[in-house]
Amino acid sequence: MSLSRKIAFVDLTTGKIETKPISKELRRKFLGGRGLDMYLLYKHTKPGVDPLGPDNVALISAGLLVGTLASASSRTHVGGKSPLTGYVGSANVGGFFGPEMRLAGFDHLVIRGKAEKPVYLYLHDDEIEIRDAEHLWGTDTRDVQDLIRQELADDDIQSLCIGQAGENLVKYACIRTSIKNAAGRTGIGAIWGSKNLKAVAAKGMRDIGIAQPKEALAYNKEIINQVTSAKVSKTMQKLGTPFIWGVTNSTGLVRTRNFQLNQLVNADDIEPESIEEDLVGTAGCFACQVHCRGKYFIKEGPYKGTYDEGPEYTSQGAFGAEVGCTSKNTVLVCNHLVNYYGMDNLETGSMISWAMELFEKGILTLEDTGGLDLTWGNDETVIELVHKIAKREGIGDILADSPLEAAARIGKDSERYLVHVKGMSNLHSDERPTPALALNIAVSSRGSDHLRGRPAIDLYHLPEKVLRQIYSNPIPYDGPLTSDYRDYEGKPWQVMWQEHLYSTVDCLGICKYHTVFLGPNMPAYEEWANLIRLNTGLELTPEEIYRAGERGYTLERLFNIREGMTREDDKLVDRYHDEPTPLGLPVVRGRFIDRDKFKIMVDEYYAHHEWDENGVPTREKLEALSLNTLDKSGSEPSNLV
Amino acid sequence: MTTSKERSSLQERAKQRTTGAFRCLSCFKRLSPPKGATHYTCPQCNYEWRVAWFTPEEPRIRGPVWDSYEQLTQDRMKGGK
Ligand code: SF4
Ligand SMILES: [Zn+2]
Repeated sequence: MSLSRKIAFVDLTTGKIETKPISKELRRKFLGGRGLDMYLLYKHTKPGVDPLGPDNVALISAGLLVGTLASASSRTHVGGKSPLTGYVGSANVGGFFGPEMRLAGFDHLVIRGKAEKPVYLYLHDDEIEIRDAEHLWGTDTRDVQDLIRQELADDDIQSLCIGQAGENLVKYACIRTSIKNAAGRTGIGAIWGSKNLKAVAAKGMRDIGIAQPKEALAYNKEIINQVTSAKVSKTMQKLGTPFIWGVTNSTGLVRTRNFQLNQLVNADDIEPESIEEDLVGTAGCFACQVHCRGKYFIKEGPYKGTYDEGPEYTSQGAFGAEVGCTSKNTVLVCNHLVNYYGMDNLETGSMISWAMELFEKGILTLEDTGGLDLTWGNDETVIELVHKIAKREGIGDILADSPLEAAARIGKDSERYLVHVKGMSNLHSDERPTPALALNIAVSSRGSDHLRGRPAIDLYHLPEKVLRQIYSNPIPYDGPLTSDYRDYEGKPWQVMWQEHLYSTVDCLGICKYHTVFLGPNMPAYEEWANLIRLNTGLELTPEEIYRAGERGYTLERLFNIREGMTREDDKLVDRYHDEPTPLGLPVVRGRFIDRDKFKIMVDEYYAHHEWDENGVPTREKLEALSLNTLDKSGSEPSNLV
Repeated sequence: MTTSKERSSLQERAKQRTTGAFRCLSCFKRLSPPKGATHYTCPQCNYEWRVAWFTPEEPRIRGPVWDSYEQLTQDRMKGGK
């Protein structure tokens, strides 16, 4: 049975490994993946735990449907307390590791302590080995995966790993698998580095055990048709996430030069169709028919001939618009380097663009940068800084810290130029003309984050009737909804709804691109209820599934509150309110987020969540979600595990 | 909860997807450029778009024609539109 997978508790200090079953009750409450990880995070860390200390946990989990006959059921979640923000650490990755981990017999790993010397874990046949990794320390994210395969003489092994950035405790180091799949955000790679954990490898031979295989297969065919017939999927198949660039940069919704501008003019070289010219094919994750990931060889310069995958929209922003570079080669090279070292591309580009603005303003000088000229658009400098950050060399050592730590080290009013929420940098989109998207990043549980609750379809100008069909399921909603992305009305509900949707799919282990993220006609709760039933035998209604997603999200809020977060943290930096957009089409030009209206949106958002005016979930809400045994001392939500 | 009636309307909606068109980013009018066109000017707001085709039937906006973009925007902003 696919529900028979276990949780393993691994103590790297003592070498002790313990496994426990996952109860049905826990499944019904949290499903799996991110939701159950949040339960484990809350339960197995103490308030104020040092993110890089041995008492923090490194969580790894497969979603409830991972490895089953559900389309795009590829996702693995990783977590811990974030070294970047001090709040929820949580990231999600595709590829093939999650299915392999389940085939090896495990759904969740809770890794704590610190190994004396570098180690890696090997999961197979319901067992976990802690193996020496001293010879792997210092390797990049590709070599380490290859070396593990060679060492264990098995080409089918899938690994999660860190590169040099994680070893060097870059605060936004990430977890990697395959060539470019990244659990990118919140610095989980630094947690692994602090534990001397280089990789987790898995090879599984156990049957997943589908509840109703024939029916599941037939139903999945319908889902595949629904997904692949969507325009957005066809576009993704050809262009990947860079397709978003064409629309957003043309409109004036791309954060440029560290938020001084909202558009990279004449940047035709890094347009999606231009990037596509360099692609030699596309790759996909487990059980996905979309295949959104480009494959390319770098065509010129010192890295000529190097193979890599991507880039994503984030790399166009990070190494294009943000740093004022219009060269495709720079985007492709930097995309390669962050993959190689194992760093979050978004945070890397944000830190570099912030440093460039500080340089422009005279806050950083040539002396501070070791002679590097940080002028906008200096391609060589941008590439050099990626190396320096990964290795923590020179100015790179400061930029490898979290935004707020780096600002404290530089001083001189440098914090004013950070573009972040809760200490995590914003995506390279400009949300000043789009209140829904601005609210989404301001309130997101892991810091500024489009993948936590972005109602991206708000940009599509959909008729109200269509919006209502989407946003009043499976929970009724008859409040306002408007097609105009510049409105403030109704947006708090959309943000909350998307938060629960993304939380839910992260619990299930299904890719967000197969949901109402970029496409309005994608599968949602009713389809997931069917997929869960046919694949696992678990009977859940669409509303119960929605509530499970909500429960996980609420637990993230409770964790953050436990770690000191207040309403004050649900905010945007002043530039969103004080500096109107200077570029773009008339619909977006001269826009900013009105402070009073923003405050009303936050109030409404709290009210929809049934949180009080300080953003604290009410007792009634916690009772309704069966989370009411939590208290301020951080005691456990239950004694289920 | 989504009823089967609503569910079928979701599927109906999916079937009724428009092909061969995209919305103008400036005025949101739905535009249907001739097949294979690489440029198209919105008859309503005059912005000229560079067009790409992600399937032989389905166009998308690749980017603006930058030369006229800024002037058009400034004219519109002056006109208070
Ligand atoms: S859409 Fe892209 S990211 Fe999602 S599962 Fe498919 S290949 Fe992976
Ligand atoms: Zn128009």
